Parts: sequence; C-alpha cells; structure tokens
Amino acid sequence: MTDRAEIEAALEAVLFVASEPVPRERLLELFNNRDRGKAEAALQEVLDRYKSVDDRGVFIEQVAGGLRLVTRPELNSYLRKFFEVTGRNRLSLAALETLALIAYRQPITSPEIQDVRGVSSSGVLKTLLEKRLIKIGGRKKVVGKPFLYRTTREFLMHFGLEALEDLPPLEEFEESLGALEAEDVLS
Amino acid sequence: MNPEGDYSSALPEEWRVELPTFEGPLDLLLRLVKINEVELTDIPVALICDQFHGYLQLMEELNLDIAAEYIYEAALLIHLKSRLLLPRPISAVEEGQDPREELVQRLLEYQKMKDAAQTLAEVDVLRQGVWTRQPRDLPGPEQEESIDLGEVSLFDLLGALRQVFVRFEHEHPPPWHVLRETFSVRDQFERLVERLMPDRPLDLLADLRTRSCRAEAVSTFRAVLELARLRLVRLHQTEAGELLLYRTSRELQQHELEAIQG
Repeated sequence: MTDRAEIEAALEAVLFVASEPVPRERLLELFNNRDRGKAEAALQEVLDRYKSVDDRGVFIEQVAGGLRLVTRPELNSYLRKFFEVTGRNRLSLAALETLALIAYRQPITSPEIQDVRGVSSSGVLKTLLEKRLIKIGGRKKVVGKPFLYRTTREFLMHFGLEALEDLPPLEEFEESLGALEAEDVLS
Repeated sequence: MNPEGDYSSALPEEWRVELPTFEGPLDLLLRLVKINEVELTDIPVALICDQFHGYLQLMEELNLDIAAEYIYEAALLIHLKSRLLLPRPISAVEEGQDPREELVQRLLEYQKMKDAAQTLAEVDVLRQGVWTRQPRDLPGPEQEESIDLGEVSLFDLLGALRQVFVRFEHEHPPPWHVLRETFSVRDQFERLVERLMPDRPLDLLADLRTRSCRAEAVSTFRAVLELARLRLVRLHQTEAGELLLYRTSRELQQHELEAIQG
C-alpha cells in the first residue's frame, strides 16, 4: 500500500514535469490497483490544491482531454518581461474567422469556407496549418476532391477547451444578433 | 448622368472619408446594414446596392486594389436589385418567396462566424498569457541504457570493427559487371549439329524465334548457311512457310569444324 501523501506528491511531480496534458486515467495507472480509491481521492486533493486562485502562480487546467499545470494568464506581463518576449503572436481577424468556421462546421473544405466568408482563404489556411491549429482530414468526395479541414488537439490546448463540445454554442450568437429565423424573414 | 456623381451621392458625407479595411465583401455589406440601421432581415437592397458601389468607387479613387470578390458581390447585388424591380409571379408572392432570402441567409451565417471569431479572438488574447512548461527531451523507453566503458576490451573493439566490415561488405556488394554476350557462329553450328537427329527435321524459324537476342539469331542463321554449304543439312520449305532442316548422312570432318570462325 502506498501512502496517501506519497501519491499526492507523485501526482504533483508528474504534472509539474509533463508539458502535454496528461489524461486522468494515465495518472491513476501509476499506482497499484488496490490503491485506486486512494489515488482518485489524492488526485482530487491535488486538483483542489492547484485551483486557479489569486495567490498562486500556477494552476491545473483541464484541457484537450487531460490535465496540465499552467501559469495564470494575469501573470503574463511578468513572464514576458523575464523571458524578454517582445513580439505579439495574435491571429489575424481573417484567420480567426476561418478558424471559427472550421471549428463549428468541421469537416469543411476550402470552397465551403469561401462561400461563407465571401473571400478566398487559402493563405489563411496555410497559416493555420503552420500553427498546427488545423489539419487536413481526408478529402471530400465531390468534384475536385477538395481537402477537408479539421481542428487539432493543439487548437483545444490553445483555446483551453476540454473537447470540441466545449465551444460556446453558436445559438448564443444568434440571440445576441437579435436575428430572426428564416421563417420570420418572409413575413 | 455622370455615374461617378451618382455613386458618390449615395454615400452620406459623414462616413465617406473613413475607409476601414474589410475582411471581404460580406463584411462591407454587414457594415452597410449596420450604418443604415436597417434590419438584416429586411434589407433595402436598392440603397445598399448603391452604397456598395459607392464604396467600390471610393476604393478606385484611392487607387486601392479591388479584389475580384467585391466585383462579384456587386454584380450579385445588381442582379438582386433588378429582380426586385421586376414584378414577381403571383405564385412566388403567395408562397412567400423573397428574392433576398439567399443574401439574408449568407449574411446571417457570416455574421454568426464573425461573432464566433470575435469570441475566439478574446480567448486567444487571454490564452496567449497562459504559459506551460517547455517540452524537454526525456529518455524514452526505446533508448538503451548506457554501457560501462570499463568492461570493453581491445578485443571487443576489434570484434566490433570486424562486424562493421562484414556488414559493410554485406551492404556494399561488389558491383555487377554486365558483360556483353557474344555469340559465335561455331557455337551455334555445334549446337545445331547436336540437335539435328537423322530422322527428325528441325524447324528453323521456331529455333530462331527462341534465340535470346538478335545477335544469337544472326549467328544461328549463319551457322545454318555453313551447314548447308558443307552439305550437312538439306533445307525444305513447306507450303505453310516453315523452313525445315534435314540432317544428311554426311559426316562432319574435324577440319571443317575448325575452319568455321569462332
């Protein structure tokens, strides 16, 4: 039997070193099956300890199907100063529009993206592919066999999403628009 | 009327100076809808169409490149405007078909994505501030454990070197030398003499056809000529065109064989 305190310490250590999100199950596998219940309780204890709170620099976030230790976004300026990061790495509006389309309508082809955006997106797609936020997932079985684009695990990680289902539902936008449904358009 | 004046008059003075960059024609259309404070679902097409063209006009005056997409959208708008001006068939009116519906749907979908992009932009900014540990090279399970150098003797090293040589030779076999095959008339002569049975004719064409190459066939043919000259064979042509060689009873003399060129 492993000591509860030791399990907690081990979990903390693994999360400290791991750079990628670690699935919960992989963490629990570290310990003997007999200690399963204890390990689960220990993990919960570690998660509680590393909640995002004001007096802590790091917290454990649940992202892309795993757990990882990250810094609190409020501390960004200190980190930028310390590591002498001066540039910005923001996505352009065109890239964000395209990314939003892919995220909500995936899998989607380049012509389909152009239909919605009204402009060609090939350059933006290249940028998003380079940033590994999207990937090519097969070809659509239509004339020209265009590539189908999907979002990646990196996309989930970057936007802090546990899974695609965690994207804010599009209906909310419709409400904020105060838009009428198609039927109302005709009256 | 001067078309320029026409377009410019469609632009209210207060926002004619400012030319924000648009993400595309749909973005411009949405902006026009917003500026005119009209419902997206009840677009005054004629007005929007004129203002859209006014913008294109302005872009041209400012020497901005107008992307083909804007021209295309402008054409769609004019088409839509003309459709609205024409009387619609009663059936279409009764069914409540609105020619603007497609445009409205496109704008709604685009607006949706624009809003989603806006949310992503906010999350993007926030998430840029989240730092993680840099991945570091960890020894994977496939990596061998380090060896104890003290236990390696000179003989181990020599043995290793020998293995390297063996492997090198195995992986770098001596190159193949492709030699040009030569066929001598005498070889073919001897082959034919051996094959020719006293009681069985030999089909020459069949024999020639089974030679490995043109050079061998030529040698064989010349050997047949020699055989005929030495009256060792008789040649017959059948009605079907076959050439048959019959062995005569004459014996081959050693000096005759030697006289044939090698």
